[in-house]
Amino acid sequence: MAAIGGTTRREVLRAGVAGAAAAALAAPAVHGQAAGGRLTVGFWDHWVPTGNDAMRQIVNEWAQRNRVDVQLEFITSVGNKLLLTIAAEAQARRGHDILAFSTWLIHDHHRLLEPVDDVMGRLIGAYGPVNPASEYLAKVEGRWHGIPATSGSQYKGSAARIDLMKQHAGIDVQAMYPAETRLGPGADQWNWETFLRAADACNKAGFPFALPAGTFSDATDWIGALFRCYGAEMVDARGNITIRNNDKLRQALEYSVRLFQHIPNEMFAADDATNNRALIAGRSALIFNPPSAWAVAKRDAPQVAEQTWHFPSPKGPAGHFVPHLPFFWGIWSFAQNKPAAKALLEHLSQRDQVAKMVAASDGYDIPPFATLTDLDTWATVGPPRGTVFNYPVKPHHNAEPNIAYAPAPPEIAVQMYQQGIQAKMIARLVQNREPMDRVLAWAEREVEGFKRG
Amino acid sequence: MADGNVLAAPAPAPAAVAPARPGALRRLARRRSTLAFVLTVPLLTVIGGLVVWPFFYAIYLSMLNKRMTRFVGLDNFAFLLSRETFQLVIMQSVIFAVGAVVAKALIGFILAHVLHALPAKGQRKWRGMLLVPWVIPPAISTLAWWWLFDPSYSAINWMLMGIGAPPVAWLGEPGWARFAVILVNVWYGAPFFMIMYLAALKSVPDQLYEAAAIDGATGWQKLRYVTVPMMKNIIAITVLFSLIVTFANFDIVRILTNGGPQDRTHIFGTYAFQVGIQSGDIPLGAAVSLFMFPVLALLAVFVLRDVTRRSREMAG
Amino acid sequence: MSVTAAAEATAAPAAPLYRKVGSIRRERRWALIGAYVALAVFVVFFLTPPFHMLMTSLKSSAEIADLSNNPWIVQSPTLENYWALLNHGSYPRHFLNSVIVTLSTVAITMVISLLAAFALARMRFWGSATLATGVFLTYLVPETLLFIPLFQTIGSLGLYNNLWAMVLLYPTITVPFCTWIMIGYFSSIPKELDEAALIDGANHFQMLWKIFIPVALPGILAATIFAFTVSWAQFLYPMVFLVSSEQMVLTVGIVSDLIRGDTFQWGMIMAGAIMAALPPLLIYAFLMDYYIAGLTAGATKG
Repeated sequence: MAAIGGTTRREVLRAGVAGAAAAALAAPAVHGQAAGGRLTVGFWDHWVPTGNDAMRQIVNEWAQRNRVDVQLEFITSVGNKLLLTIAAEAQARRGHDILAFSTWLIHDHHRLLEPVDDVMGRLIGAYGPVNPASEYLAKVEGRWHGIPATSGSQYKGSAARIDLMKQHAGIDVQAMYPAETRLGPGADQWNWETFLRAADACNKAGFPFALPAGTFSDATDWIGALFRCYGAEMVDARGNITIRNNDKLRQALEYSVRLFQHIPNEMFAADDATNNRALIAGRSALIFNPPSAWAVAKRDAPQVAEQTWHFPSPKGPAGHFVPHLPFFWGIWSFAQNKPAAKALLEHLSQRDQVAKMVAASDGYDIPPFATLTDLDTWATVGPPRGTVFNYPVKPHHNAEPNIAYAPAPPEIAVQMYQQGIQAKMIARLVQNREPMDRVLAWAEREVEGFKRG
Repeated sequence: MADGNVLAAPAPAPAAVAPARPGALRRLARRRSTLAFVLTVPLLTVIGGLVVWPFFYAIYLSMLNKRMTRFVGLDNFAFLLSRETFQLVIMQSVIFAVGAVVAKALIGFILAHVLHALPAKGQRKWRGMLLVPWVIPPAISTLAWWWLFDPSYSAINWMLMGIGAPPVAWLGEPGWARFAVILVNVWYGAPFFMIMYLAALKSVPDQLYEAAAIDGATGWQKLRYVTVPMMKNIIAITVLFSLIVTFANFDIVRILTNGGPQDRTHIFGTYAFQVGIQSGDIPLGAAVSLFMFPVLALLAVFVLRDVTRRSREMAG
Repeated sequence: MSVTAAAEATAAPAAPLYRKVGSIRRERRWALIGAYVALAVFVVFFLTPPFHMLMTSLKSSAEIADLSNNPWIVQSPTLENYWALLNHGSYPRHFLNSVIVTLSTVAITMVISLLAAFALARMRFWGSATLATGVFLTYLVPETLLFIPLFQTIGSLGLYNNLWAMVLLYPTITVPFCTWIMIGYFSSIPKELDEAALIDGANHFQMLWKIFIPVALPGILAATIFAFTVSWAQFLYPMVFLVSSEQMVLTVGIVSDLIRGDTFQWGMIMAGAIMAALPPLLIYAFLMDYYIAGLTAGATKG
């Protein structure tokens, strides 16, 4: 703390930060007081190593500019590692300042998470509204407790084989969703009925759609979107169970039964990698997945990758909902350096940083703001060039990102989500051939149990 | 062993000490119990601090409400018992644990016998190969199994198709999935039984068999009247140990099926994890984990009492 | 052979017994054939996954993805997976961490178990019998239950995300079984030995060090090997309490580094697993006879 040439170290720091803040006007409020000190950060370990590298580079630049000593770690979500880390730190009341939180964890831990309304207010002011799924998951009782993250957030629209869909289902997916900001011919007919016919045709040709129906998130997410497309709520926003006498729910279930006549039985036990492997192995014409499957195919089975095209999942009578699995960044209320944490997260949410992350992940990462879905990466990545152009839900798609079981109150929804209630209903109908009424009664009893506080 | 050295060093060399008087012996005996207690302090610290204390804390946790703000007594347990899914979990855990332990014990017993009958030289080679599953960290070998079961890449199905059999949805059909998780558990655990039984077999004195042979006992009779009684303790201990550990199993099911299809392979460990950690109801998860404790504890106390009595009889 | 030899020697004069001896011979031959068949069947069952692991570890990822090949055979073997693991990434670091944790745990386990087993086997004191049984009962409390309360314990000790937390936690899994083996082994040592030693004026530590440990060496080896295997394979505690790559151990490291989201680098996972299985494999290869001998005397008397 000795004064050097009349100024203390603290003042130097402050001056440095002010300069940095002035230089990076994109970050509107890097507060002087936030500077200095240590910041420990645990981000999601990206499935592409270059994703981590890009993040590290962005964070290091920021840290140097703001003279914050940042300790950055990447924590994998494999084997629920990230989940366990969050549970551990919440119980021990110590750990990182910032952690990455998957889907429901902001709600689970919101009592221990610093509100970030100030940061979100500025971000929304700059980039427009956050997509409704992210808002539902990060805003608790009117306050933001997490910042929707770009890194790790994904859509699970269609990833389909151009050749197989054309040959067996008669659908030119490239023409339907071209790599331009317009819908092609047939896009208006891309609904679940069309989808079912395509599933039937491809299954007959020996390339069944690999649609999982287990309890892993890939299954829960697409089935959630399907049910939402039919307006089939199981619990409404006020927490009332709406299973009995719900025609829309029946309709969604009846549709599912028809669809699963054309899906291999083993998909009832599929995990999040089963569908990827089916596509990469050239055994499936369509899966619902982010471009990770395509990226692996590019390395291991290039002939498959060249024929893969990404576009939204189908629409239904109640609207067009695309499965979305957002990630969040949260700051513990026991964090040591909250101002720096907020400043870093705000910096990471700016367009330039988002662009870098999207580029590093070959378009896999999705920002929470629709206004940021026009980045170059999605237009240029290939082969085939433009394959991920329609992977993010863009304004011209007229679709809405969806998290399964919304808008039920999150403390009930999270249990339905983790138990995969919708998938289990389908499995009971299809695998066990149980009558509809019995399945509905079963689901009602299950959900009744989830309501308990 | 460095610690042992340190402990032994300051003691006087035995040669320098005068022959002990009876008084010294008595004093030693009196000091003995204090010393014995001191020697068990490290054990008590580790077990007390890192098992017993957290265990009681977990019991307390299991009696809180979801938000951990209110004491609810046994409500969580009552709630669990009323749930269909949990009734299924109880049944499956029992099938899983009992099925796997019986299979492990049988296979271990057969293999130990077979190995014991081999000449010493060949025995070592076979023994080594048979111990491999126990040596690979199970979290990783389970991954390898999982891949063998994968619908697209299953190398097992590849062979089945080679002989014209239809492929099996190993983890997709409830029946097959239950079989698969038990199979992997048996694969991993059987070698441990084998080695324990082999050790026990080697400790049965040859004279007993010779005597039985003179009496004209058949192989089965020798097994029934010589081997099994001599191995009773080790069988009891191994089965008990394995039953406890298998009831607590977590990794195999989590990696292979995560409880699916339709919850048909969920066991206490995986269900507790899903309820407690993934759905954010830690007290309920703790209640799930604690469920088997009273039953297993009773069983363990009885078995261990038996074992102690029997070994005392043998010693006496 | 001793059974038949003994039967022959004692039963020589009586004719009907001769027939019996012949049948014993025939029985033995059939038993031996049956034995080899049973062994072969189980060796195939036990070694199929490791064999598949080995084959996969020698394949390039393109070959693994190619479904037209026989999955059990390598077409163009390559060591690139092993090479990549050893030269890039944190595999060597994780390996070293595993070695550090395992060796420390084994040492601590043996000190704790030897002292406790000595006390429980040789010196009765109030509650000693209960304690001997109670130690075994710790296995009744599953790790999946314990880790939640342990978050706070480990957190307040400042050992969260610290390799040494494992050295503290692993003994809870190894100590009970090792103590139990050692109690059994020590009980099998004749009481006359220690009485003689006491009369010679040796104190208890000398007795333990000079008599019990040398005599019980096979049992100690068996317990050591058990502790080693279990510590080396531990998964849940490092998964829960370690975060940084520098602190991570092998079992979790393989899973967390080589599985990326929904993409698995199977070749490297298998190569990593094979190398991870080597240390325990070597130990068993060299010390198996001691292990069995140790268990023979220790476990069976328990």
